[in-house]
Formats: sequence, C-alpha cells, structure tokens
Amino acid sequence: MTQLPTNRMEAWRWTDLAALEAARATVRGGVPAIEGLWIEGDGPRLVFRDGEFQLDLSTPGEVSIEPIAPVTAHPLGSATAGTGWRLTLDAERAVTGIQIVHVATGNENHLPGLIELGRDAVASVVETFVGNGWTNRLTTIRLAEGARLMRSVRLLQASGFVSLREEAEIGQAASLASVFLGAGGASSRVDGELVVAGDGGFAEMGGALLTRGEQRQECAVTVRHAALDGASRQIWRAVAADRSAVSLAARVDVARGAQKTDGEQSLRGLLLHRTATVNLKPELEIFADDVKCAHGATVGELDRQALFYLQSRGLPEGPAKAMLTRAFVADAIDRIGEDAVREAFAADAEAWLSEAL
Amino acid sequence: MLQIDNLHAEIDGKPILKGLSLAVNAGEVHAIMGPNGAGKSTLGYVLGGRAAYEVTGGTVALDCADLLEMDAHERAAAGLFLGFQYPVEIPGVSNLQFLREALNSQRRARGQEPLSGAEFLKLARAQAAALGMDAEMLKRPVNVGFSGGEKKRNEMVQMGILNPRLAVLDETDSGLDIDALRIVGDGINRIMRAPDKAVVLITHYQRLLDYVRPDFVHVLADGRIIRSGGPELAHELEREGYGAIAA
Ligand SMILES: Nc1ncnc2c1ncn2[C@@H]1O[C@H](COP(=O)(O)OP(=O)(O)O)[C@@H](O)[C@H]1O
Ligand SMILES: [Mg+2]
Repeated sequence: MTQLPTNRMEAWRWTDLAALEAARATVRGGVPAIEGLWIEGDGPRLVFRDGEFQLDLSTPGEVSIEPIAPVTAHPLGSATAGTGWRLTLDAERAVTGIQIVHVATGNENHLPGLIELGRDAVASVVETFVGNGWTNRLTTIRLAEGARLMRSVRLLQASGFVSLREEAEIGQAASLASVFLGAGGASSRVDGELVVAGDGGFAEMGGALLTRGEQRQECAVTVRHAALDGASRQIWRAVAADRSAVSLAARVDVARGAQKTDGEQSLRGLLLHRTATVNLKPELEIFADDVKCAHGATVGELDRQALFYLQSRGLPEGPAKAMLTRAFVADAIDRIGEDAVREAFAADAEAWLSEAL
Repeated sequence: MLQIDNLHAEIDGKPILKGLSLAVNAGEVHAIMGPNGAGKSTLGYVLGGRAAYEVTGGTVALDCADLLEMDAHERAAAGLFLGFQYPVEIPGVSNLQFLREALNSQRRARGQEPLSGAEFLKLARAQAAALGMDAEMLKRPVNVGFSGGEKKRNEMVQMGILNPRLAVLDETDSGLDIDALRIVGDGINRIMRAPDKAVVLITHYQRLLDYVRPDFVHVLADGRIIRSGGPELAHELEREGYGAIAA
C-alpha cells in the first residue's frame, strides 16, 4: 500500500498509529461469533470475513459484490481498491434494514463500499465491526436529488484498529444521517468528508466514542457546504476512562455562495478518570455572510452533585455513574431514527458502561 | 433510632460541625432551626454521606449500626432519606428510570425482590397523585425545568416511593406557596408519621411546623445544638429571633 500517515502530520497527530501497526502485525486466528449481532428485521444481510464476502452466511438482496475503483486521495481510503460491496438504487426505490457484519481475525483487511441512491430513493444501512486486527474501509456515497440514506455504524472489535473513511456527495434536498458508535476495545479513526453539493441538502455525521484502558479513538470529519439552504449536524460525544484518549476533530466549511446554511456542531467530552484525555478540535470556516452555525466544545467530569443525589437515593457508585454517562452519550445515540437500531446501539453502550464503571 | 454524639465535621479544612449531639427515637419528629450558615445543611450532607465532608470526630448510629461506616447508597438502603435544600437537576435521566433503579437497588440490598415495571409505575403514580404532581412530570428528566416548588414536591414524591424509616428534610418548606406547603406537610405526615419512623425537619420558619407538629425543637448555631425544647421553642424563636436565644 501507499505510505502510511505519521503523527507528525497535523491531520493525523492524534491517531493511534502504533495500535494500527501492532494490529497489522498480528496473525489471523479465531473467528468470533456473530449470531448475536443481527438486529431484528428482514433486510439484506452480508458478512465479510477479513474483507472477503461470505456468500454462505449472507442474503445480499440488492447489494452486489463487484470490483470498485474508488477515486480518493485519502491515504488509508485509497488502500481499499479491489472487490467490494455496492448498493445502487434507481429513482424512488427504497431498501431499508440492510445489515453488514465485518469480522476480522487478525492481520489487515481492506474493503471499499459504494452507495448510490437515485432521485428520491431511500436506504438504511447498519454496519458492525467485530474481531481483531487492522480493518480498513472506504465508503463512497452519492445521493441524488431528494435521496435519503440512514447509516449507523458500530465499532465493536475487541482489539486492533479500525479505520473508516466516508466520502459523500449530497445532492439537492438529499439527506445523509450517519451515527457512529465506538464501544469495543480497538483503537479507531472515523474519518469523513461530506459535501453538501445541492441546494437544501442535509449532512449529519456524529456519534459516541467510548474508550478505556490504553485505547485511543478519534473522529476527523469535515462537512463542506457548497450550496444554498444546506444544513448539517456534527454531534459527537467522547467518554474516556483509565488512561485512554478520545479526540474529536470536526470542521464545517461554508463556501462563499452557500447562503442560509444552518450548521450545528457539538463536541463534548466526559472524563471518567483524571488520567484520561479528551482532545477537541472544532473548526469553522465561513465565507458566506447569511449563515447560522451553532457550535460548542466542552470537556468535563461527571457532576459530583448529581452523582451524590443519585447515590443518596440508593444507587451504588458504579450504576450512578453509568446512569449519568448513559444520559451524556444519549445525545448522540438518540439521533438514530430507527427504533430497533437505536436500541441495539444503546445496549452496546450499556454493555461498555457496565464493564468500564 | 438515630444517635449522634459529639459530631465534628469539616469541609476543605474548615470546621463546620463542632460537637453536635442529637438523639431521635422512633415515632418522633424533631425540628432543627438556626441561622444561615449554622451548619444545618452540612448536618444533612454528613448524615447522607457526601464525600466532600470529612468527619473528624464523634459517632452516628442508625439503629445501632455505624452510619459513618456506610457509603451513601448503603445509608439509603438502611432506611435514610435526605430531602435536599437544593434538589439537583439531572438532564437526560428521567424521574421514573432513576427512581425505579434506586428503589430496586435498595430492595436488592435488603434482600427483597425488585419491583416489576408495572408494579413500580403503579406505586409512582399513586405517590405523585397524593402530592398533586402531574404523572407526566415523572417522565421528565429529574428536576430539569421544575420550579422551586415543583422540585420540593418531587422530593416528597421520591420519599413516598422510597418509603424510608428516617427522613432528614433540609428546608423542604422553602420556595413553597401556602397551598403547596399544606400539601407537602400532609405528605410528610402521611408518609412518615408512624411508630417505627422518624423525621428530622430542618427549617427556617415556624410555618411548616403548623402542619407537621414537632415533638422537639432544637436550635443549631455555630455547629452545635445550643438549645432544645418542645414546640413552644419554635414560637419563641419566631418572636425573638436567633440572636436572643444564642446570646
Ligand atoms: N463547599 C463548601 N466549601 C466551603 N465552605 C462551605 C461549603 N459548604 C458550606 N460551607 C460553609 O459551611 C457553613 C455552614 O453551611 P451550611 O451547612 O450550608 O449552613 P446552613 O444550612 O445552616 O445555612 C457556612 O459557613 C458555609 O459557608
Ligand atoms: Mg442550608
């Protein structure tokens, strides 16, 4: 593959590249169970093991497996060229409840994905990552006029490193709503560039990254508003325990002509221990004058008064902390519109909390 | 039931309680009155087990068990309820979710079966209704957007649900209008007036004591109980002020 980035590069300074290197040096081994990962629903289901499609475990429906030649300059994303998955829907078609499970058993695996929705088409895709090793993905998304894509991604790899690169072009009045949950033991980088290219388009990329031990997770997301009346949401929550670190870098660019853009960027970190770290890097670059961009970035600890209030009513310290942390993370997870998906993600966050606290 | 002996406590190295003693028997209501800054809320927090307050001397027994050895949640399971002078707002946590988990944690600690969702909901609705609180408010985040009076009423709903044996109520009457005061007073009597229960009412004003008649009234000043008496002491304080008593 091409040269890996280094921590000396500004855009990669918080990335756990040591974990990436260690992950790719592992050898392939046991295959984790995946039965419990499916969310109720009868949509297409696909399983990839170490980046290879598992036909016998899959019912791919509308999703095809074919060579994909991504056009990207991204250093990790460009390493994914080859056979991948593709969802192409004609105008006004709807396919919801697509689930993709990525199982990694060690070493490294790379896979491209492509989602193209025609005019007014609708799709929802849930992706789940489990296992070990370095897992690298590029997902290219093109939404035509009025198309809507709901995308929910959970990183549950027990160890290793997961790097995701999202590149999306959002057409007129089209909408991309994506939520990412990092609640496994792997380090990660969730990297994205969303371009609101058509008037009235909507772009959302947010989520919750939960870390403990020595783990490091980060998001590095840019939304570019290139058209009128666009809206975007970047709502990220970071929870860091032990000596772990979460970094949230989120950027909104509003081009000169992109009047009436409505952007919201909310980056909040919660330190469960004093030894943990949350880095925040909010950036706004606005060249249009009639724009609304709400933004906030804060890091704090659990509110001691609230904690004592809960304990004084009978909750032990762990459950009391979990209750407050759950509420903190809910800001991000509650953005998921589909009930079953939201509940599954909340349950994963819950499982993380009961282990970390 | 509650036996406090020569209690000393400080916060940030600053002594607040300076040898406070108090004995409360089952079936009794004790009022504690005193000037601002006397240490009344500190007493409540120390009894509740708030970590920031350091006990530097003395003992506190709840039914012969050493209260000071217990964590805050263990004190709750042992039957203590602390009504907060300033109930805390907790965004994102609903009253129902919070109270159900709290009650069931207490029940588990006492070796009782947890309540099912339906059983709990029935109990919570009944307690809210008895205190004139709209059942819809139970679904809202804890105290968020509640008026001062609604927060105090919510404290009493929580007390009704948790059904403690000893309630320490810190200025539950402040911020209440006269109608709410009567409802809250009736609530305290209904929930806590029983031969096996007891109440410590921390208050500034005589008026709550018109509804919840104390058996004993104590004056707390500068970290100590400086005078104790019957209900008539509250009237004397109202007439003459703390200055005359403390002098
Ligand atoms: N967190 C704190 N840090 C330092 N001093 C405090 C703190 N909390 C209370 N105090 C002080 O302790 C004293 C007693 O306060 P408090 O118990 O709230 O009194 P009361 O409830 O009787 O008005 C006051 O002098 C107050 O300023
Ligand atoms: Mg006070």
